[in-house]
Parts: sequence; structure tokens; C-alpha cells
Amino acid sequence: MIGRCLAGVLLGFPLSAMTLALAMALSPARGAGWVIAALIAFFPLWTGVMAASYLFRSGARAWLVLGLANAAAFALLQGVRLSWSGP
Amino acid sequence: MKAATLRTFQLVHTWTGVMAGFFLFVAFYAGALTVFHGDIATWQHPPWRSAASPVESRQSLIDRFLAVHPEARADFGLVLPPPGTAQPPYMYWPADGEEHFATADALERDTDAPTAGSLADFIYALHDSLGIPVVGLYLMGLVSMLYGLALVSGIVIHLPGLVKGLFALRPGHNLKRLWLDAHNVIGVLSLPFHMIFAVTGALMCLFTLVLALLNTVAFEGALPTMFAQAIATAPPREAAGEAAPMLPVDALLTRARAHALATGVDEFEPDYVHFSNYGDRHAVVEVRGLSQRTLATYGTVALDGQSGRVLQVHVGPAYSANGSINSSMYALHFGSFGGRAVQWMYFGLGLAGAFLFYSGNLLWVESRRKRRHRDQPRRTLWMGRATVGVCLGSCLGISAAFLATLLGEGRAWPLDTLQRAAAYGMFAVSCTYVSIRPLATAVRHLLLACSAMTALPALLDLARNAGPWVRNPWTGAHGAVLGVDLTGLLLALVFLWLARASARRAREGDPNSIWAGCETPDTAQHPSVHG
Repeated sequence: MIGRCLAGVLLGFPLSAMTLALAMALSPARGAGWVIAALIAFFPLWTGVMAASYLFRSGARAWLVLGLANAAAFALLQGVRLSWSGP
Repeated sequence: MKAATLRTFQLVHTWTGVMAGFFLFVAFYAGALTVFHGDIATWQHPPWRSAASPVESRQSLIDRFLAVHPEARADFGLVLPPPGTAQPPYMYWPADGEEHFATADALERDTDAPTAGSLADFIYALHDSLGIPVVGLYLMGLVSMLYGLALVSGIVIHLPGLVKGLFALRPGHNLKRLWLDAHNVIGVLSLPFHMIFAVTGALMCLFTLVLALLNTVAFEGALPTMFAQAIATAPPREAAGEAAPMLPVDALLTRARAHALATGVDEFEPDYVHFSNYGDRHAVVEVRGLSQRTLATYGTVALDGQSGRVLQVHVGPAYSANGSINSSMYALHFGSFGGRAVQWMYFGLGLAGAFLFYSGNLLWVESRRKRRHRDQPRRTLWMGRATVGVCLGSCLGISAAFLATLLGEGRAWPLDTLQRAAAYGMFAVSCTYVSIRPLATAVRHLLLACSAMTALPALLDLARNAGPWVRNPWTGAHGAVLGVDLTGLLLALVFLWLARASARRAREGDPNSIWAGCETPDTAQHPSVHG
């Protein structure tokens, strides 16, 4: 229980943050038109990940899956940013 | 959904609810009153009681302020009092990364509490931070997050029987069933309202912290600039370094109002005026005001300081997406978008929210009740005591702050100290009383005390206002003050009714409960041990 709870809180934060950053990076003007909406959406998103992490079979699985999701989000975000500085 | 998953969410709902419930009760009870923030301010400072000293013009206040703080000229603001009150405006300016305030009677001394002694602001502080600066705000931010989690898990566990059982209110032999039904129907029907608070509450309390963290984690340092651009209401303009005369502030306010009304909103009540580079050829003046019957209630008109030419309008339909979302977030949180009707709706929903958290704790106690024994487990007894002590203590404390305001006005003691002492003192008395007396007796006495404490300031206020009201013509301020007093009397009646109901429950209800009276001989000797 506590393992899944901590995974949701600690890994849910960067996962929600990077998901939003990714969505903004892919929208026109790098999301400048909906910064406030994104900030408001952050809390429901984080809470959603926290609640969903109780659906995992065990704490270890929650850490593993959410950890991989974080890594994927990070890689995608870096990829999008590299494409900005490219040709 | 699997039974095990449902049980997990039940556990999450119970514990997040119990942890956050106490704080949320205070936030919702004080929040329901905060809906009428302006009316409570008028109640404290009605125009007919403060006309003794001549009112200083806004322009003269600004001139005196700039004579004392010439360095603030580049960036400062004038905070206007709520309309209908007789309070003076006060000054705000940032310096060295901190916020400074100065009131009209002591411009040379900066203060961090320009509205100290304002009852409406004290109740607002109780609502958003339990009245504890900084730490209280972060605490309430965490509470908002727990509240969000409790809402999500609550929906999940009630989802299977949601539609079927929504309006089922089953009175009868099983009282727990009735309480559960009441908890569910209020929780589900006011769910949109609660979701607004869980999200906006967390955002408002944790904003600085979360913005900094998000910026580091995912935005490579770009977020603060993006945010500042998203909420900017005036074009960036450098100082010209060349002096030029400013339009008087009242003329600027009139122009701003005219431009705001031209967008189609039906009113615009200025509450804040911000000046950039005052007295410079490139001075910019931003007037913020409240418009009703639009979701983006707080709008801003930016004007040129010399000509009064309009630079940007962010009001009602003329808002950008970012600006209108930002403004609607406040409107939805404070219920300031639809006049009196919406205010009363928010007041009712706020009190219903307080009931939701109270009933949640009662359900926790009721599910752990031993049905065949007079003696109840210690933890349920203490949960019952804590629930009653904290919830009724908050009601008692807030009513005591009204009384302290009324009795302490114009005396030697600082009013804010009196209000704090009354509110926290009564809260402590309530928590102590409920721990040393048999629970059923304590509940009845505390409810009677709440009733008396709420009725007293209302009656005293009606008595002292009766004279001026009869002699002078009726205005909006009269209605506001009368409304506050009548609401106080109504709440006093509700407390009285609750006191009678709990006395009846103690007498006639199931004796195998912490709520039963202890008139029977076997428990009367050790009430605090056996409950």
C-alpha cells in the first residue's frame, strides 16, 4: 500500500510535469496560449496518477512501470527539444 | 472492478478523508462566510459609523505616499476598499523581493498586515491558512491534495451503485445507512463544486512552490517568463527618463470604467490600481475591477498615465484565453461571478461541504461501533471527541471573533489580537471541554454555546444600528449589514435545533454508542473512561 502510494506521489509529479511539458512543446507557440490551463491541469493529472497507482499489483510494479513511463517521457521531451535546435 | 481494488480505494478514501477532514471543515465553514467578504467588511465599518473624520482623496494619498517613498515610483499600487465600506485605501509596493504595505495613517512605516483588525480578512486567513502565515498556507495546499485524492477514491467506490442509490435516503432502523446516504448524495451532487475547490485550492496554496518545481523538472527554466507573459495586462514599456504630469487617479478610474463597460460587461468596480513609472512620460496605469455576470470576473484596463489613452483591455469578452482562464479560476473559487444568487448558492454548498466532512468522521466512528456493548472502543470515542471539539470549536471561535470585533472596536487593545485571542481561545476551550466532560453532555453544551455566541453579536449589532437605520434613508450598505445579522440569527437557530436533536439522541437513541447520554448508573461514575 505504502509503496504504491509513494510511487504515485513521487513519480507521479515528474510524469505529470513532463507530460504537460511535452503537450505544450508540441502545440503552436510552444504552448504559450494555454500556460494557465496547463498549470491548472497539473493538479488533476498528478492526483489521477496517484489514484491510478493503487491499481498496480504491488509497490515494486508501480515503481517499475511509473519509472519506465518517466524515462519515456523524458526521452521524448529531450527529442522534441533537440529538434528545435536542429536545422 | 475487483473486490480487492475496491477495498484499497475504500482505505484510501477513509484515511485521506479523515486526515484532511478536520482542516477542510474549518476551510469550508470559514469559506462559506468568506463568500460574503465584502458584506462582513461593511458590517464592521458601515458608512454611518465612520463619517467623523474627513475622507482623504485618493490622489492626496498617492502624493503623500510618493513624498515619503520616492523610490517606489517605478512600481507601486493603490488597494481600494470594498465598495460600501468606510475604510481608507492603502498602498502596496515591492522592494528587495518583498511585498511592502503602508496605511494612510502611517505612510512612513511599512507593515506586513495593512488590514490588521479587519474581521473579513481574518476569516479569510482562517479559510486559506487557518490564520497561520506561510506554514498554514502550505499545510492547506497539502490538505487540498488529500481532498482531491479522497474525491477520486470516493467516486470510484460509489461508482457501482451510484445512479441506483443516488437519491435513496433510507431512514429507519439502520442509522448508519441514513448517514451514509446523506454523505453520498451531498458528495455526489456537489461533486463539480468540490472538484473546483480541490484543484483551485491546491493551486492557490502551493502555486509558488509548484511553479518552481515544475520549472526545474520539466521546463528548463522557461516557465516563470511564460507565466508572466500569460497574465500580463499591460504592454512592457521602459521609463523615458523624462518627467510629465499624470492624470488625476479619479479621472483614470473613470476612463478605465468607461472602457471596461464598452466591452459589454454590465459593471466594473475597481479594487486595485497599479502604477508603473509614475510621473514619467511612459507611465502606465492598470486598473483592476470586478465585473459580475461574466466568468472572467476580475478584469484589467491599462491606460497611458498622461493622456489616459487605453493601451490594453482585459475585461469580459476582451480577454485572452490565458487571462480569462486565470480570472475564471478565482471567480469559480470565490463565487463572485453571478451576484447574490450565486453567493447564496456558494454559501449553502460551503456549509453542505462542512457537513460532508463532519458526516464522514461520524461514519468512521459508526462503522467501528460495538453494537452489543455499552463500552465503546477508545479510538472511536476519541475520534468522536476530536470531531466535535474541532468542528464546533471552529464555529464557536469564528462567532467569538465577530463578538470581539464588535466589543473591541475603538478600545486600547489592538483589534487583531482580540480577534485572534477570541477565535483560538474559544477553539481551545471547545477542545478541552469535549475531552473532560461526557461526550453527549459536551456536544449539547457546545452547540448551545455556538448558538448563543452567534446570536449575541447579531443582536448587539442590530441594537446599535437601529437608531441610524430609522433616521437615515436605506442604502445597499444597510442591506449588507442587516443580511449579516439575520444570517447570524439563522445560524444561531440551526445550532439550537442541533443541540435539541443531540439531546434527544442522547436520551432516546441506541445506548450502545459514544453519543448516548450517561444517566444510567453503571457509566455515570466513570463517564470519561467508559463513554
